[in-house]
Amino acid sequence: MEDAKKGTVTSLASIFPAEEAQKAAKRVEDTIAEKEKELDRLRGFIADNNNLINLVQKLPEELHHDIMVPFGKAAFFPGRLIHTNEFLVLLGEGYYAERTSKQTTEILKRRGKSLDSQINSLEAIIEDHKAEASFFSATASEAAEGLVEIREDYEEENSGKGEFKSGILTDADKVKATADDEEFARMMSRLDELEKEELAAESGNHSDENEETTSDFDEISYQKPIDINLQNSEDTQQRITLEQINDKSIATEFPGECSYQEDISDQLNFASLALQSQTREGKSLAKNLKNLDATSEKSTTHLEEKMVQPTTASKSVVIQHQPSQPLFDRQKASTSSIVEHAGYAQRNSKEKNSTSSQVGCRTSEPSFDSSKAFTGSILEHAGNLQTREKNSTSSQVTGSQPSKPVSRFRMQRR
Amino acid sequence: MLLHACVVTKHTLNLSVKILQEHLTPLKEVNYDIAKNHQVRKKYTIQLGENELVLKELDLLQEDANVYKLIGPVLVKQDLAEANANVRKRIEYISAELKRLDSSLQDMEEKQNSKKDAVLKLQQKIQSLQAGKGKA
Repeated sequence: MEDAKKGTVTSLASIFPAEEAQKAAKRVEDTIAEKEKELDRLRGFIADNNNLINLVQKLPEELHHDIMVPFGKAAFFPGRLIHTNEFLVLLGEGYYAERTSKQTTEILKRRGKSLDSQINSLEAIIEDHKAEASFFSATASEAAEGLVEIREDYEEENSGKGEFKSGILTDADKVKATADDEEFARMMSRLDELEKEELAAESGNHSDENEETTSDFDEISYQKPIDINLQNSEDTQQRITLEQINDKSIATEFPGECSYQEDISDQLNFASLALQSQTREGKSLAKNLKNLDATSEKSTTHLEEKMVQPTTASKSVVIQHQPSQPLFDRQKASTSSIVEHAGYAQRNSKEKNSTSSQVGCRTSEPSFDSSKAFTGSILEHAGNLQTREKNSTSSQVTGSQPSKPVSRFRMQRR
Repeated sequence: MLLHACVVTKHTLNLSVKILQEHLTPLKEVNYDIAKNHQVRKKYTIQLGENELVLKELDLLQEDANVYKLIGPVLVKQDLAEANANVRKRIEYISAELKRLDSSLQDMEEKQNSKKDAVLKLQQKIQSLQAGKGKA
C-alpha cells in the first residue's frame, strides 16, 4: 500500500513495446536513407553545375568548336559550334534569357549557392533524424532488456515518521533556505554592480556634451575648498603633507581641465585606455607610492579623525582607509583619502552640494605624473557624469552617502 | 438462457463489425485525400521556389536583355517587363493556391481525427464483445 502510494513501477516494455519501438526506429532509418539519397542527388547537381560553369567559361575562349551534334537517340554528326559567347539560359518555368558567358556563369554560381544552402538544411535534417533513430533504438533495446520506469510523485512536505524527524527536516530546510537567500543576495548585489558599471560605461560614452560643463564646475569647486581645507588643518606637519598632495592634485588637475576644452573626443579614447594604462602603471606606481606611503598614512589618519565630526563627509575616508594592509592597497587608500579630503572640503564649503565632485576629485592621484593623472582624470569624469545623471544610486558607487549620518561601511569596520 | 445471450452478443458483434466497416471506408477516403493534398502541395511548393528563382534572375537582367518563353515546341520572344509581370502573377497564384490547400488540409485532418476516434471506439467495443464471447 505504502509503495503504491509513493510511486508506480511500470516496465518500459508496457509503454513502448519493443517491437513498436523497433518499428519506429526502422521508419526513421528509412527516412534517413531517403534523405541521404536526396542529398546524393543534390551533390550530383552541384557537381554538374560546377562542370557546366567550367564549360561555359571555356567555350568563349575559341571562336568556334568542332563538335559532334547528337541526332536522334543513337546518331551523331559532325558540326561546328559558333557564337561561342551567346548562351540561352533556362531560368525556369519555360523562361529563357540570352546571356553572355560571364553572365551565365554568374547565374550558375547563384544556383550553386542555393544548392549549397539546400544541402546544409538537408544535412541538419538528417542529423535530427539520426538522433531520433538512436533514441528509438535505445528505447527498443531497453524495453527488450526489461527496463522498468519508477515514477514517484514529488512530495514537498516530507510527512515522515513522527514529528521529531519532520522538525529536523524543516530545520535543515530552513538552513538551506537561508543559505540560498544569502546566495541570492550575493548574486543580486553582483548584478547591481554590473548594472552600475554598464550604466557608467554608457553615460561615459554618450556624454560628450555634458563633459565640458562638468569640468568647468569641477574646476571652480576644486580650488576654493582645498584652500579652506588647508586653513582648517591644525597640525602644521600634516598641513605640509596635505599641501603637497593638494598642490599635486591641483597641478595634475589643470592640464586635464585645459585639454578638456581642447578636444573631448581624444579624451574619450583615452578613457577607454585608462584602465589598461592604470594596470600597467601599477608596478611603477608602487615605487612612487612607497615614498608617499608614510605621509599619506598620516594624512589619512588625520583625516579620519577630523572628518568624523562633520557628519557627511567622513565615511568615505574611512572606507578607503580600511584595506590598508597590502602595500599596493595602501597606496590606493592614501590616494583616495586625499581625494576624499578634497571632496570633504568642498562639501564643507558648498554644504553637501554634490557628491559627484567627490568622484571627480579622485583623479588627483598624487604619484601620477601629469600625463598619467590626465588619463585618470578622464576616467573619473566619466564616473562623475554618471553620478550627476543618477544622483541617488551613484552615491552608493562612490561609497559616500551624504544624507546618512553614519555610513554602513564604517559600522562594518567597528 | 445462456445460448440466448450468446446469440445476442454474436448479433451485436456482427452489427458492430458492419458499422466499423462503414466507418472505415470514409476514413480511408479522407486519408487518400490528405495524401493527394500533400502531393499537390509539394508540387506547388517546388513551383513556387522555381518561380522565385526566375523572378530573382529576371530582376538581375538588364533592361535590354532578350527573354524568351518556351511555349510548346517554340521559343517566343517576350518583353522583359511582361515576363516579370507574368512571373509575379504566377507566384501570387501559387501562393493563393498553397493557402487554399492548407485550409482544406486542416479541414480534412479534423475530419480524419473524428473518424479515427469513432473507429477506435468501435474497435474497443468489438474487442470487449469478443472477450465476453470468449468467456461465455
